[in-house]
Amino acid sequence: MREKQLRLVVAFHTTAGAMAAERLCRKLSLEGRLISVPRSVTSDCGIAWSAPPELRPTLEARFQEAGIDAAGYYERMV
Amino acid sequence: MKEKNWFREHGLILLTGVVVGVAALVLTAMGNPKNMGFCIACFERDIAGALGLHSAAKVQYIRPEIIGIVLGALIAALAAREFRAKAGSSPASRFVLGLFVMIGALVFLGCPLRMVIRLGGGDLTAVAGLLGFLAGILVGVVFLKKGFSLGRAYPVPTGEGFMLPGVMVVLLVLLAAFPALLRFSEEGPGSMHAPLVVSLIAGLAVGVMAQRSRLCMAGGLRDAFMLRDFNLLTGFVAIWVTVTVGNLILGNYNLSAVSQPIAHSQYLWSFLGMALAGWGSILLGGCPLRQLILAGEGNGDSAVTVLGMIVGAAVAHNFGLAGNADSVVDGVYTVGGIGTAGMAAVVIGFVVLLAVSVAHLPGKEAA
Repeated sequence: MREKQLRLVVAFHTTAGAMAAERLCRKLSLEGRLISVPRSVTSDCGIAWSAPPELRPTLEARFQEAGIDAAGYYERMV
Repeated sequence: MKEKNWFREHGLILLTGVVVGVAALVLTAMGNPKNMGFCIACFERDIAGALGLHSAAKVQYIRPEIIGIVLGALIAALAAREFRAKAGSSPASRFVLGLFVMIGALVFLGCPLRMVIRLGGGDLTAVAGLLGFLAGILVGVVFLKKGFSLGRAYPVPTGEGFMLPGVMVVLLVLLAAFPALLRFSEEGPGSMHAPLVVSLIAGLAVGVMAQRSRLCMAGGLRDAFMLRDFNLLTGFVAIWVTVTVGNLILGNYNLSAVSQPIAHSQYLWSFLGMALAGWGSILLGGCPLRQLILAGEGNGDSAVTVLGMIVGAAVAHNFGLAGNADSVVDGVYTVGGIGTAGMAAVVIGFVVLLAVSVAHLPGKEAA
């Protein structure tokens, strides 16, 4: 089992938003991975992007530039 | 230590699976049809019949389980301050998708939840449905990876979120106080049911637990395939294990591919019916059970989907699309299944799902 660590969790309004975020981060070589959105974030069962917390300013800027609409940024142990 | 962490992470979904499984066993013991303690598709079909939306005399009853699930989810969402009235994510497409998910499920004779309950009763004909459901999920996942989206939902006035729970309350009042206004089966699956209070309590329990844990048959497989995350799938497995063990203890386990209750052995069409249901569920973002839970949380798009499923049930029975169970007539085992109209409906369903999938890929809207 993967050891839990503090991560930035970016939630999206749609699964397509999470997929677009993954494509962008891969293209920009930004560390992260898709995860099932944690229950503590929302009762929705969507997909979120998990990244190191220090990447938050970069991700906020890049997602905004690319028109990817994030529903929220959270720090969680995942 | 590792075991402790595993239970902390998966305990709630595991418990939900056990609650659903036990509820299914209790409901069957108290009157629901065999291997049909819970079936969202079958129960919505029975509700459609009770309201006179179709005239299949054997499947007409307002199932309190459905009412309980929606109201249980509503109560849990309100208590946890998670009730959010929202809507606007391609409602018309969702209505049509719900309609075809229902047709696919009724071709197989069960929603994904009943598929697991059938497997838990030893019904090997359900394996074809399981394989079809897996195939449908995989097709849906391909479109998700390509960027498929029905668009986001937006906040709407709170009253909008109470519409489907309100409809459920009206159905409950009709059933309890004005039964003369409804249709009731005198024979067949619709005539077999647990007492109203027991069904309602079981539905409420499942609604509360499924809202807290986010139990979803389609979501579990989607997460397993796309993310290698097996949390939701744990609930799926817990239901199967609970129902299997319960049936073994109660002496109701019958490992066989023949003479299974309300099941047919047209394997190809069971496979295709559940493939349609699986693909549609992924496009909708959840299985039929999950749509009820989301509607209880205030999601108007899921409410529209549920209404689409109820209309789908009426269409399936008015046009002879639903499957017929295998039966023994004059001592001769007769294979049931679907007729030409049902086969045509499944094919049309795949065409419609493909069209909806392609139309909602990135760039298609502007083109």
